[in-house]
Amino acid sequence: MAGHGHEEAHDETAGPKVLAVSKVSPKVRTIAVVRPSEHDVTYLEAARKGLGVTLRHFMKNFFGKRRPAEALAKGEAVEPRSRFKPAWNEIETIQYPEEKTHYPERFRGLHRLMQREDGNVRCVACMCCPTVCPANCITIIPAESDDKGVEKKPAVFEIDELRCVVCGLCVEACPCDAIRMDSGVHAKPVENRGDAIMTRELLLGLSADVGKDPQSTATQGGEGPDWRG
Amino acid sequence: MSDPAPTTPPPPDTVTLTIDGTAVTVPKGTNVLEAAKTLGIDISAFCYHPGLSIAACCRQCLVSIEKNPKLQPSCQQTAGDGMVVRTTDPQSTLARKQMLEFTLVNHPIDCPICDKAGECTLQKLYFDHDNADSRVDVPKVEKPKVVDLGPHIVLDAERCILCTRCIRVCDEVADSHQLEMINRGDHQELTTAPGQRLDNPYSINTVDVCPVGALTAKDFRFTMRAWELDSTPSVCHGCATGCNVEIHHKNDRAWRLVPRLNAEVNGHWMCDEGRFTYHELREGRLAAPVVDGLPSSWDKALGTAAEKIAAAQAGGGLAVVLSAQAGNEENYALAKLATAWKAQVFWTARPHRPERADDKLRDADVNPNTAGVKAILGGAADNDAAALEAALTAGKVKAVVMLGYDLPLSEGALRHLRELDLIALASHERGPVKHAAVALPIAAWAETAGSVTNRDGKLQRTHAAFPPPGQAVAGWEAVVRLGQAASPAAKLTWAHGRDVWKDMTAAVAPWKGAPWGREVRPLQLRFAGSRG
Ligand code: SF4
Ligand code: SF4
Ligand code: SF4
Ligand code: SF4
Ligand code: FES
Repeated sequence: MAGHGHEEAHDETAGPKVLAVSKVSPKVRTIAVVRPSEHDVTYLEAARKGLGVTLRHFMKNFFGKRRPAEALAKGEAVEPRSRFKPAWNEIETIQYPEEKTHYPERFRGLHRLMQREDGNVRCVACMCCPTVCPANCITIIPAESDDKGVEKKPAVFEIDELRCVVCGLCVEACPCDAIRMDSGVHAKPVENRGDAIMTRELLLGLSADVGKDPQSTATQGGEGPDWRG
Repeated sequence: MSDPAPTTPPPPDTVTLTIDGTAVTVPKGTNVLEAAKTLGIDISAFCYHPGLSIAACCRQCLVSIEKNPKLQPSCQQTAGDGMVVRTTDPQSTLARKQMLEFTLVNHPIDCPICDKAGECTLQKLYFDHDNADSRVDVPKVEKPKVVDLGPHIVLDAERCILCTRCIRVCDEVADSHQLEMINRGDHQELTTAPGQRLDNPYSINTVDVCPVGALTAKDFRFTMRAWELDSTPSVCHGCATGCNVEIHHKNDRAWRLVPRLNAEVNGHWMCDEGRFTYHELREGRLAAPVVDGLPSSWDKALGTAAEKIAAAQAGGGLAVVLSAQAGNEENYALAKLATAWKAQVFWTARPHRPERADDKLRDADVNPNTAGVKAILGGAADNDAAALEAALTAGKVKAVVMLGYDLPLSEGALRHLRELDLIALASHERGPVKHAAVALPIAAWAETAGSVTNRDGKLQRTHAAFPPPGQAVAGWEAVVRLGQAASPAAKLTWAHGRDVWKDMTAAVAPWKGAPWGREVRPLQLRFAGSRG
C-alpha cells in the first residue's frame, strides 16, 4: 500500500491518512495504517488463481504432444499455434542427461586451447587472459619456446573451472584466438576442488575431442597467413 | 605573450622562453624538451634520454620555433632567451604523428610476446598520437630475432627503432663500445661491434633505456608482464654504493630490480650484479625459529636464548656481533641491547672484493651498510672480525649474539664458535647459523621498512615490498623480543621501525634530525606508464 513515492510527497492527500502531528517535530506523525481487507487476508482468491495455473499446466503436459527428442536437440522451432493445434506442446520436460536440449551457437562451455598446425599450443602466454579474468582463475607460467618464430609459450596453463564465472572475457582478450569456449562441454561435477582445475593438456585435448577444428584459422595480424611477406 | 613582463630581471644564468603561450624560465643550456617538461608538456621522444648525450636521430620530438623555417628537434635545441616554441600547432603535431607512423612501418608489433608491452614508449606514443590502422600494405623488412647479444641480453632487431640509446649507454655509462649500427635506411640494424659481445658490468641498463622491447634481459625475460608488477622504492644491497632501485614484485616475491633516479648516488643506472641480488631473497631462508637444529616456536626460542644469555652474562663472556649486511635499525637496536647487557660489541662484514671496484658505481665493499654500523658503534668501530677472532681464540667469550650470517673468520675461530652458545638473528640459514643454539628468523632487506648508509655516509630509506617468509619479523622487532625475554630491565618497547629511527637519529650524531619520511605503498606499474 501507500509507500513514500514521489507523488505522495508532492500530493499530501494521496499519502497515508495523518491522524496527528507531533508538536516537537512536524516530521513525526501518527498515520492510519491501511490493513488488507478480510477477503485478501484469507488468500483464498490467490490460492484459487494459483491452482488454476497449475491445472492448466497439468492439462497441457498430460494431453499435449511433446516435441520429438531429435527436434529438441536440433533446436527445431516449435510448431506454430493454430486453431486446431493449441500451443500445448510448448511446455516440455527434458529427460536430462539422456536427452539434451539445443544449445545456442554462442553457448559458453568449458575452455579449450587451440592448436597450431604442428599440434603445439597456440597460446603465446601473453598474459592477456589472466589479466582480464575477473575471477582470477587462469594461471600461466610462461617459458621460452623451442620454436624461434614463436618465442614464448605457456609451460603451465591452468584454469580453475570452479572459480570461472563463464564470462568469456578471456576469449575476447586473446590476441591469437588461442582460447575458446566453444567446446560445448559442461563443467563436470568433481569430488575435490583440485579436480576442477583444467591443465594445459586437458584443455588442448578438449579441442581435439569435441570434433571441432582443433586448429585456429585466424592469422596473426589478421592479414592472411603470409602477412610478413 | 599575455604574461606581464617580469619586474625583476631574471638571474643571468637563466633564459626565459615561451612554450605554447606560457613563459618559462630555465637554467641556461636546458633543452627545449626539458623546458617543456617543467610546464607539464610532454613532447614525444625516443632517442633523448636525460642521462645520455643527445643524438637527435629519431626526430620524434619535432616542434615549431618562431622565426625558424624548419621544425626543430626539441631534444637538441637549446632553449634561448625570448624563443617562442609551439608544440600544438598543426605542422609540428602532424610531423610527430608522421614520424611515429614512419617508425611503425617496419615494426613487427608482436606486443603479445614482447616483454616491453605495458611499459613501452612506442605503445604509449601510438595511443597518444593517432591510434589509427596501418596504411602500409607492403611486406615488412625482416631482421634477426632472438639474437643472443651477451650473457644477459637478447636482441630482437625487428623491434629496434634505431634510437641508439643502448649504444650510448655502452659508450658513456660502461665505457665500452660494444654495440653498433650497420647498414642504412630500413635495413639499418643494431648489432655488436666487430669481435665484441654485449658484456659489461652495466649491460642491463641498455634494457632499461630501450624505449621498445628490442633488448630484453635474460634474467627477467618472459617471467612477468610489466603490468602485473608492483613497484616499491628501495636501495640496492649489493655494495656500499647503495644505488637507488625499484623492487618490482608480485605474489610476495621480487622479480627484478631496476634503477631509480638519484643524481647524488647512481644517476639513472645500476650494475648488473646488483640487479641479481634479489635472487638471494628466496634462497635458503630461515622461516621459523630454530633451537638446537630443530624448528621451534618464538616463545621456546626466546626462553632458551634468555637462559643462555643470562649464563654467559654472569661470567662476563657475552659478545654481540653487528653486521654491515643488515640495516641501521636492527644494528642500532642490537647495539642498544648490548649496552644493557654490558657485552663486548663487534661487527662483521663480507670480505671486500677489490676486483669489482671501478670509478663508476661498483665498490669493492660488498656490504650495504658498513658506514652505518661504524656510525652506530662510534668508538667501538675498530672491533671488527679480526678483533672477534682474537677474542674467540683467547677463549674469553662464552656466548655470542649475532646479527646476520656473515662471519669471515678462520677455521680455528669457527671451531671455537661451534663450542659456544650462538644466538643468531638471521634472514638466511647459512654458515654459522646452521650450528646456532638458537636462530631467530628476521626479514631481509626488501621485506621491512628501514635504512642503510652508503659509502658517502648518505642515509637512505628502504621500504617493505612484501612480507617476510613464515614467522620472520623485522630485525629490530626480533631484538625487541629478545630484549624483553632476556633482560626486561632494558625496556625495549619500540613498536614500529619509526620508533627505532626516532631514537637512533637522536643518538647517532651524523643522523641527527633525519626525517623518517612518508610511508610508501607499492605502486601498481599498470598505472605508471612507460619506462625507458
Ligand atoms: S570465462 Fe571469465 S572467469 Fe572464466 S576464465 Fe575466462 S575470463 Fe576468467
Ligand atoms: S590471451 Fe590467449 S595467447 Fe594470451 S595467454 Fe591467454 S590464451 Fe594465451
Ligand atoms: S616494442 Fe612495444 S610496440 Fe613493439 S612489440 Fe614490443 S610492446 Fe609492442
Ligand atoms: S635496441 Fe632499443 S635502445 Fe638500442 S637502438 Fe634499438 S630501440 Fe634504441
Ligand atoms: S628525441 Fe629528439 S630527435 Fe629523438
